[in-house]
Amino acid sequence: MKRLTSVLGYTAAALTILAAVLLPFLLFNLFIWGVAATGVRIDPLYSGGDPLRTIEKGGYQVVVHQPVWRRSPLERTHSFVQLTWKPVSALPARVSDEIDLDGDGNPDLRAAFDVPSDPKAALRVDVTPLTGRVEPMTGVGKQSFSCLIARVNDSIVLRVPLRAR
Amino acid sequence: MSEEAKPAAAGKPRRGIGKSLLLTFPILLWSLLMFSRTLMQPGAARKIAALAALALMVTLFFLMVRTRQTFRWRRVFFVALGFLFPLGFIYELIALRGSMSIPVERMLAGDTPFCFLAIPMMILPAALTRTIIFPGSVLPTASNPHAVSLMVALWLGATLVLGKGWCAYGCFFGGLEEGFAAVARKARLRHISPRWRLVPWAVLVAIVLLSAAMFQPTYCAWLCPFKAVTEYPEVNSLETAVQTGIFLTLFLGLVVVLPVLTKKRTQCAFFCPFGAFQSLFNKINVFDIRIDRGRCGDCVSCQRSCPILALDKQSVEAGGTLLSCMRCGACVDVCHKDAAVWHIKGAPVNSAPEKARLMYLYAAWAFAVMFGGSIIANALEKVVGIFV
Amino acid sequence: MHLFAEAALLGLASGPGCLASCGPVLLPALAAQGKGLGGTAGLLSVFLSGRLAGYLSFSVLAWAAGLAAPADPRSRALLFGLVDLSLAAALVVYALAARRCPAAPAPSRLVSIEKRVRPWTPAALGLLTGLNICPPFVVAGARAAETRSLPAAAAFFLVFFVGTAIWSLPLVAVGGLRRLAGVAAVARITLLILAAWYAYLGIMALSWRFSHV
Repeated sequence: MKRLTSVLGYTAAALTILAAVLLPFLLFNLFIWGVAATGVRIDPLYSGGDPLRTIEKGGYQVVVHQPVWRRSPLERTHSFVQLTWKPVSALPARVSDEIDLDGDGNPDLRAAFDVPSDPKAALRVDVTPLTGRVEPMTGVGKQSFSCLIARVNDSIVLRVPLRAR
Repeated sequence: MSEEAKPAAAGKPRRGIGKSLLLTFPILLWSLLMFSRTLMQPGAARKIAALAALALMVTLFFLMVRTRQTFRWRRVFFVALGFLFPLGFIYELIALRGSMSIPVERMLAGDTPFCFLAIPMMILPAALTRTIIFPGSVLPTASNPHAVSLMVALWLGATLVLGKGWCAYGCFFGGLEEGFAAVARKARLRHISPRWRLVPWAVLVAIVLLSAAMFQPTYCAWLCPFKAVTEYPEVNSLETAVQTGIFLTLFLGLVVVLPVLTKKRTQCAFFCPFGAFQSLFNKINVFDIRIDRGRCGDCVSCQRSCPILALDKQSVEAGGTLLSCMRCGACVDVCHKDAAVWHIKGAPVNSAPEKARLMYLYAAWAFAVMFGGSIIANALEKVVGIFV
Repeated sequence: MHLFAEAALLGLASGPGCLASCGPVLLPALAAQGKGLGGTAGLLSVFLSGRLAGYLSFSVLAWAAGLAAPADPRSRALLFGLVDLSLAAALVVYALAARRCPAAPAPSRLVSIEKRVRPWTPAALGLLTGLNICPPFVVAGARAAETRSLPAAAAFFLVFFVGTAIWSLPLVAVGGLRRLAGVAAVARITLLILAAWYAYLGIMALSWRFSHV
């Protein structure tokens, strides 16, 4: 019995060395594939939620994402809906768009912001609620993770806080 | 120096040079393989850095084999990794964005590099909601090669091979403390209550529960001391100012000052929740350190030498270390009775300790060359690039 | 009957969220006493009774004022700031007294305070973690207010509470960890860390309140 456990132990030790050698050639790719295969995705709080609808605005698009609702009383962020304007190069110097969030034909908010030519310049947005779905925003820049406007690569991302449902 | 692993008074006999070279040969081949791609890339700075890193790793392994000592040579690599990683990382941040702070735009784009320290906090939310509560990307992209899947794969591989040995051969932060712990000749603070060892477990439980409840990686947001040498959110509010104050205080206290005063890795031993989490995987690792009670003279040198207090009176009497042992070899190197020995589970204690040590070192050093060696080469390239 | 079915379904659906809000406090609180399964079940029931008291208080508010919570942000900040600070204090008392904590030995005055309040501390923790505004709670409050009768509102919240409480029953298993060395001590230190967090939340809420006079 002692000999058997000893043999098993040394075998496991040898396999550990083998695992170390196989890591960069085989095991890494296997593990990466395994993680991706679980279907995990970045939490909507960070990714902004899955795209829901795309609104064509003549030259550019506005992507309306799924609303991101608070899931826990301890969450530090408010519920929000993310809107993405792209591409930035096609945007006019001043954007003032009415957006229908739920596709019922009635616009829910009006978002107005300037698009500076300098990509590093700060953005400010005014959001006027047209229905009771969202909170107003006046001259907001990057106030919080659920209330901001920012230039992300070739798009402008706006997160508008939602009124509690 | 009772706190450092000095060679035992009786001294372990040195291995012959020929045999040492022979035993080092596989690591030389492995290192050449791991660095071959870098060596073939253009750029003198890159080649010089890769060669220097290769030479360092092979030389240190040779010395570990020849002198039969582990801790002091491993420490050279580990401290180099701890100091060079932030150097390379900060260099790239400054070159890329001119600042160490992460703008919110990068978080929204999913470009935040994923760090292994966040792994324990991801598990519950991922299991319950299949989402990763981190502003990164699941798969590697051009703008974010350090994606969640890659870092988790790296962690899985390291855990398979090293168990908690990650904390002695992989963690690119631990070398900072180990370096500062080696600064003073003598410890100014000698008596540390071993009950402080429970704090990392409490921090782990707190951050896991709060992260799941808040859908936010709370350790990253509030407690990580290593944001002082990597990247951190822009300071643009009272809350981010408080967060910055906390991580700077923790870094200076736990990573710089206390290691100098105690000659221990205080952040690792008394705070790091990832270390506590990684300790669990020692249960499945086949290598460990045992105390041969027949030889032990109860001199407590092993207990005093351990950088993270992973040995105490009870564990030594029971013939082993605590779960938090990171396999650094300090206790084995300092034991002059050869009572503290490397061991393979299932085999009799002290039957072939040097064989067990070498087998562990082959696995650990193979990982160290692949991972830590490449980080060292990358950072050295930045330094050499200034002159070449 | 229809109303109670609605309350039960709402409670069951809200349970994970409620567990998320009280879980960080409840789990270490159950482990900190080092009791077995039976003792842990007893602690859980005391905690839940405190939580029920919180829910029923809100049901009275809902019926009386037609609101589940103060609508004015300043009043909310004041209320929840005080709740968070009270919770932080309760966590410190619970963690530090009675048994020696590795981080700080218990002063004798604290021990005598804790001995007097000990039976009530888990209930206090339940009450204080239960006093929060989450969407299901607001919905429950609004529905309770619609009943136009205090007994009906209280009954609605009672059924809602039972629906949420079912989710916390598996936590009794924490009592099985008693066999592991150091679990109770780790739980107590965890409670101290959480106390620091809730103290921070309370201070920030009150700072906001008093800076927006």
